[in-house]
Amino acid sequence: MSPLATSPPVSGTGEGAAHDLLPSPKVETARMVGLYVVSVGVALGVIAVLVLAVGHAPGSVFTALYQGSVATPGALGRTLDDTIPVILVALGTLVAVRAGMFNIGQTGQLVFGAVCAAFIALKVHGPGPLVLILALVCGLAGGAVWAGLAALLYAWRRINVVISTLLLTYVATQVLDYLVSSQRFLEEPSSSPIGALPQSAILPANVDLPHPGAYPSFGVSLGIVIALVIFGAFAVLMARSPWGMRLRMVGANPTAARRFGIRVAAVAGGALVISGALAGLAGSIMLTGEVYRITGGFANTFGNDGLLAALVCRDRPGWLLPVSFVFGVIRSGGNYFLSTGVPDYLALVLRGLLVLALVFPPVYLERREWARRLKAARVLVLRGSRAVAEKGSVS
Amino acid sequence: MSIDGTADLSRIAESTRTPRPSREEGGGIRSSSDVRVELENVTKRFGPVVACRGVSLAVRQGEVHGLLGENGAGKTTLMKVLIGLVPGDGGEVRLGGRPVVVKDPVHAAALGLAMAQQHFSLVERLKVWENVALAHRGKMGRREATRAIGEIGERYGLTADANARVEDLTMGQRQRVELLKCLSLKPGVLILDEPTSVLTKAESRELFSVLRQVVQVDGLAVVLISHKLDEVLEVTDVVTIMRDGSVVAELRTAEADAHRLAKAMVGREVLLQADMAAVGLLDEEAARAASEAPAGSAGTAPTAGTAPSASVPAQPAPALRLVGVSARGPDGRLVLDELSIEVAAGEIVGIAGVDGNGQAAIGEVMSGILSVEAGTIEVAGREVAPRAASLMRAGVAVIPEDRHASGCVLRMSVEENLVAAELDVFRGRTGLLDKKAIRARALELIANFDITCPSPQVPMSALSGGNQQRVVLARELSRDPRVVIAVQPTRGLDVGAIEYVSEQLRAAAANGAGILLVSSELDELVALAHRVAVIHGGRIIGEMTRGRIDVERLGLLMGGRVA
Ligand SMILES: Nc1ncnc2c1ncn2[C@@H]1O[C@H](COP(=O)(O)OP(=O)(O)OP(=O)(O)O)[C@@H](O)[C@H]1O
Ligand SMILES: [Mg+2]
Repeated sequence: MSPLATSPPVSGTGEGAAHDLLPSPKVETARMVGLYVVSVGVALGVIAVLVLAVGHAPGSVFTALYQGSVATPGALGRTLDDTIPVILVALGTLVAVRAGMFNIGQTGQLVFGAVCAAFIALKVHGPGPLVLILALVCGLAGGAVWAGLAALLYAWRRINVVISTLLLTYVATQVLDYLVSSQRFLEEPSSSPIGALPQSAILPANVDLPHPGAYPSFGVSLGIVIALVIFGAFAVLMARSPWGMRLRMVGANPTAARRFGIRVAAVAGGALVISGALAGLAGSIMLTGEVYRITGGFANTFGNDGLLAALVCRDRPGWLLPVSFVFGVIRSGGNYFLSTGVPDYLALVLRGLLVLALVFPPVYLERREWARRLKAARVLVLRGSRAVAEKGSVS
Repeated sequence: MSIDGTADLSRIAESTRTPRPSREEGGGIRSSSDVRVELENVTKRFGPVVACRGVSLAVRQGEVHGLLGENGAGKTTLMKVLIGLVPGDGGEVRLGGRPVVVKDPVHAAALGLAMAQQHFSLVERLKVWENVALAHRGKMGRREATRAIGEIGERYGLTADANARVEDLTMGQRQRVELLKCLSLKPGVLILDEPTSVLTKAESRELFSVLRQVVQVDGLAVVLISHKLDEVLEVTDVVTIMRDGSVVAELRTAEADAHRLAKAMVGREVLLQADMAAVGLLDEEAARAASEAPAGSAGTAPTAGTAPSASVPAQPAPALRLVGVSARGPDGRLVLDELSIEVAAGEIVGIAGVDGNGQAAIGEVMSGILSVEAGTIEVAGREVAPRAASLMRAGVAVIPEDRHASGCVLRMSVEENLVAAELDVFRGRTGLLDKKAIRARALELIANFDITCPSPQVPMSALSGGNQQRVVLARELSRDPRVVIAVQPTRGLDVGAIEYVSEQLRAAAANGAGILLVSSELDELVALAHRVAVIHGGRIIGEMTRGRIDVERLGLLMGGRVA
């Protein structure tokens, strides 16, 4: 089992009451694999039909997906570059979920982190590595602050985190739009041609994240090392540290956690802040390691990819790295669809289908579990225990 | 013994079922047609644990059938199999002679099987009538539900306010609602899983008069699970005793007595609290302790304490002193009203009172989860901030009333729950948790506190009700606390376990802890406490020492009359 997977495989907010009613984890895993075969098969089938319908050969699309993602060393490098932010965002999401905080504002936190990093990288002059480190740290802090706002609202008035983080994302993208279209702040001074989207200047080359190797040969930014080290550290902390255990207690039973002397608001809010920090770091690594300039569309759905990856491996944290990699594959391979001549709107649809195939099985199983719990709850409201209806268990 | 309300109740003659005017006396022969439900050879496994192994049980109509057994014996599981809440692994269920497969509790309800669960099945946020309506799966509106509550209430003398929210009710009232809900389904078989563990004596008596009526007048068959031997003797006709998943004895109640039942259950002689109270063990012990030496050595606690605070300083400061403590519940009501009390080191002070007079609040304040409005808490002469962490650091251990909901984390493992309150002790040199030490500690506590569980890694939710409580007890008592606040500590425990807890509390006191024992069991208070104080409306309104407990005066005090 993965180091993160110390909690029992029952997910969601209901307590273990439905335990008796659930299939064992082994059955569940087998079912999950089966569902994946089906869902990916269906997605590929639909893709083939769609591609045929617009008059192209389906085979060429699949080849493109493969060629563009893993077939060549260069493509593999790009895929890994695309995997980095997904790992970080998904990891943060899982940390927050453990404490019962459903952060869905990763995009906003990523954007705000990247904005902070861009300010440092563009406005601070000094030795490159120093500025780079400062930019990454500020990016991390920016994401933390952005999530911290939601954490404060939660601690202060128990404002629902789902809502506050979501709304803060809109604010963050507005802030970004304003900053990159204002010469006083981030907009490229040498003014872009009329009609082009506003963007910042390119970062000075000496503050770029080292990127050993370059396309077409294998190359990946140093961000991958950062992401893996952070993942490893969190895996250990979540599984082995008192903090990790407190986190789970707060998520599973806040009242009991309070009895054990745990400061629930601090732990839960802290988890949210960590989640934001990791998203902010993801944004700054994207900025300094891959994109090199910030634009209105900077987030490029990386925040959502991370969120979806976390959704896929919520109960199986060990899957986080491979799942993130698959998201990278879909993204970098999906960019190659255009090379086969399919129209760009269709390329987006195809990518969406693949993501859907990836997310469907766990979500389906979870929904089914909820349906089962709902039934169990009805049943238990009838005879059973307060447990499922509220929390607790049958005994 | 007189039964309140029987006269009134017998007036109501009409019944939906064939009335059975009286039980046959003397345990004579019954025709098999009397058998309502029959379980044959029922087996249920949870992984390696066999919760029920080939259990056969016949419940007859017009009978209260007691089901006894130690914690984890498989009583709840057997009943869950019967109502289809968990699928059985083998065996047969027969209803009125015909084999049936009970698919789920909804199906069971349709077949006339109703069960009131050990930890209730009420939605706390909803009102009483809404809970009753839910049991009818939305086929009942507000008016019908209210009417049903009124009718059943009148018929059985079970009154409940249909518009009250369940969360505002005391445990006793909730139990009444749970029962109302079951009865509203007009079942043929009523299963009650430890209904009286949260009831006061008077409430239990009320319940029993209802039970008598449903079996005698309405001809229902009742299964009653209980750990309280005296009430089993009082109300049941037949008793089946389970141990370790099997039936070890079945006997007519008329032929049984408390010691025989206890012995059959536990497999050895048990010292019942009632005996302790009668024998005056405590006085003997106190005398011995006094003659032996000052504090400290009398303890026989099996715990390998981690932070020995055992040596009691010969200081005059009481272990615990509450001065004018006031607190408000979530609804703004004053639940503790300038409560003051002192507990000396080595002393056990009992708190008696009618449920809902601030007992639970004492536990919550001492756990730091209910904030204190006024007053101070002193532990061993030093004032302690009323926050969870400070109280814990000062050596306060709390066995909360609502163990199930807030005393443990059901989704986490048994071992994690056992060490949850002292994580820092298990921090290794690297700052990470020392898993090996945690495992060792868990195994030690599981052995010492006789917790039945397949392994320390299973989630708490897989333990039987009584074993979940043992986990909480083990965690709290093993920390060598200075002060123990035990709120209904034996609720839901079997007789053997009660004996054990009694020993543990005494040992903790002998080790110099001050113990505040909140209990609605008079026997328990008399058996354990040096002094009994009575709480009413959130304040202490009277007190008596052990030697001169006057039950009548106690009753008056509990009712709020200063006598
Ligand atoms: N869902 C489950 N998963 C695994 N084991 C279980 C589960 N439910 C019960 N058990 C085990 O089955 C055994 C019997 O449990 P059960 O709840 O029937 O006991 P009980 O007789 O009702 O005890 P109590 O008096 O403590 O309520 C226990 O050892 C318990 O640990
Ligand atoms: Mg039970």
